[in-house]
Amino acid sequence: MARVVILGAGISGHTAALHLRRSLGKGHEVVMVTPNSKWNWIPSNIWVGVGKMSAEQVTFPLAPIYKRKGIEFHQALGTSIHPEGDKDHSRGYVTIKYTSPEKAGQEGKIEYDYLINATGPKLNFAATEGLGPDGHTVSVCTAGHALEAAEKFKEVIAKLKAGEKQRLVIGVGHGTCTCEGAAFEYTFNVEHELVQAGVRDLAEVIYLTNEYELGDFGVGGMSFAQRGFETNSKLWTESLFLERGVKAILQSHVSKVEPGLIHYEQLDGVKRTLTFDFAMLLPPFRGADLKAFNKAGEDISSEIFAPSGFMKVDANYTPKPYEEWRAEDWPTTYQVPAFPNVFAVGIAFAPPHQISKPRTSATGTLIAPSPPRTGMPSGVMGKTAALTIIDQIKRGAKAKVHEASMANMGAACVASAGAGFTNGSAAAMTMYPVVPDYERFPGVGRSSKDTFGEIGLAGHWIKYMLHIMFIYKAKARPLWFLIPE
Amino acid sequence: MDNFADLSGAPRPIKKTLKMRKNIFMQLWRFIALNLKMVAMIFKGDH
Repeated sequence: MARVVILGAGISGHTAALHLRRSLGKGHEVVMVTPNSKWNWIPSNIWVGVGKMSAEQVTFPLAPIYKRKGIEFHQALGTSIHPEGDKDHSRGYVTIKYTSPEKAGQEGKIEYDYLINATGPKLNFAATEGLGPDGHTVSVCTAGHALEAAEKFKEVIAKLKAGEKQRLVIGVGHGTCTCEGAAFEYTFNVEHELVQAGVRDLAEVIYLTNEYELGDFGVGGMSFAQRGFETNSKLWTESLFLERGVKAILQSHVSKVEPGLIHYEQLDGVKRTLTFDFAMLLPPFRGADLKAFNKAGEDISSEIFAPSGFMKVDANYTPKPYEEWRAEDWPTTYQVPAFPNVFAVGIAFAPPHQISKPRTSATGTLIAPSPPRTGMPSGVMGKTAALTIIDQIKRGAKAKVHEASMANMGAACVASAGAGFTNGSAAAMTMYPVVPDYERFPGVGRSSKDTFGEIGLAGHWIKYMLHIMFIYKAKARPLWFLIPE
Repeated sequence: MDNFADLSGAPRPIKKTLKMRKNIFMQLWRFIALNLKMVAMIFKGDH
């Protein structure tokens, strides 16, 4: 009998758990350790953040799903990994701290034969003074945060209706943030709702980003073939900003937020301030607060984790100049080299380098979008790790190791630009591969046939369809496994 | 002083483009076409 422990029930970890349970017989245990009681379809949080959806529409309780599927569920936070075990444990184990109301604060140990670290990001609001719901800005990173954002947005609309001008700033709250796509979506959903409320003329909407140019989205932008011309996501995105009257401030690192005032620095090294009445700024991410120890109880965290807190896997982490970065630097199996029965997937693995070119300001401040690895790639990584584990349990340690590299993986990003069955719109984008491969695709690094973007109502329908499909899949309803990651 | 990005060089969509982006029949076709393109892209790479 083998036991597989998964830390984290986000898109990646939950996908892995469902595939493991589906393919492993009842003689094997699948154990989920996650601090939250609910699963959250995060891409729809932007709709919660403008009041178009309730928190219940984007979340559901995990316990009944895991009970039905036969997955052991611990509502707890993973605190340390002991991959070699110790004098009392012959196998590796994890220590956990319960977060459920009935067991809050209690600690435990769970041994494993295989471990998947899918802990996702720690929302590092502390990196910028005054950032986040405990500071002076709102967020849409969790359903709870998005509800709070919706309340504040409602107050803004009320003030606008009373004739008071309002400045809304939406974007990222640090020079090294990722998920610019989510900030872009929230910007245009807010703008759309202002139009719907009939108060757009009194509102100034500003997108504040660390991207070098619009359309970068943390992936260095995209090139599209359109109507016989090669165009790019920069021109395409700028066109949308122009059409909708949204202003943009680029190349920015937010250093501090005070009530109604954002301090930021741009690549030119000049420090500026920006007043606001409403601000939604996403935080930078860090790895979860996990420690690792060897058999003797010595702290080996620095060997297992990158300084960012993300777990090092089978990637090439050798520091080298941007020009020398290669597609093959990116991991394929997500195994930790020293411990092949330990995997890190989704946001939890340490990327070998950025995808978008990193830059520093004239004063030396790093302004570099971090690589996005959410959504579709996260699900694929979770499934890949699960398939490797399934084969190794069934066929022995020499069984096939499954591979999926972000340098050979496509991603669809459907960025909502306003919700509504007949008046909504979205920017539907796909790119293949996510990490450019300049050897396979000279020039732009991606397939021009499989990388495209289109704005329209159809995009909104696709985004809504994905919302329905992925919640159906996550609830493990009949034939869930037929829905691609 | 705020340092807004210069968007003056960006193409502004014409009325017909904006209309087609909302046209139900055109968008139904684009819905089918985009889904097919996305599925093809997914199965082309690691999935």
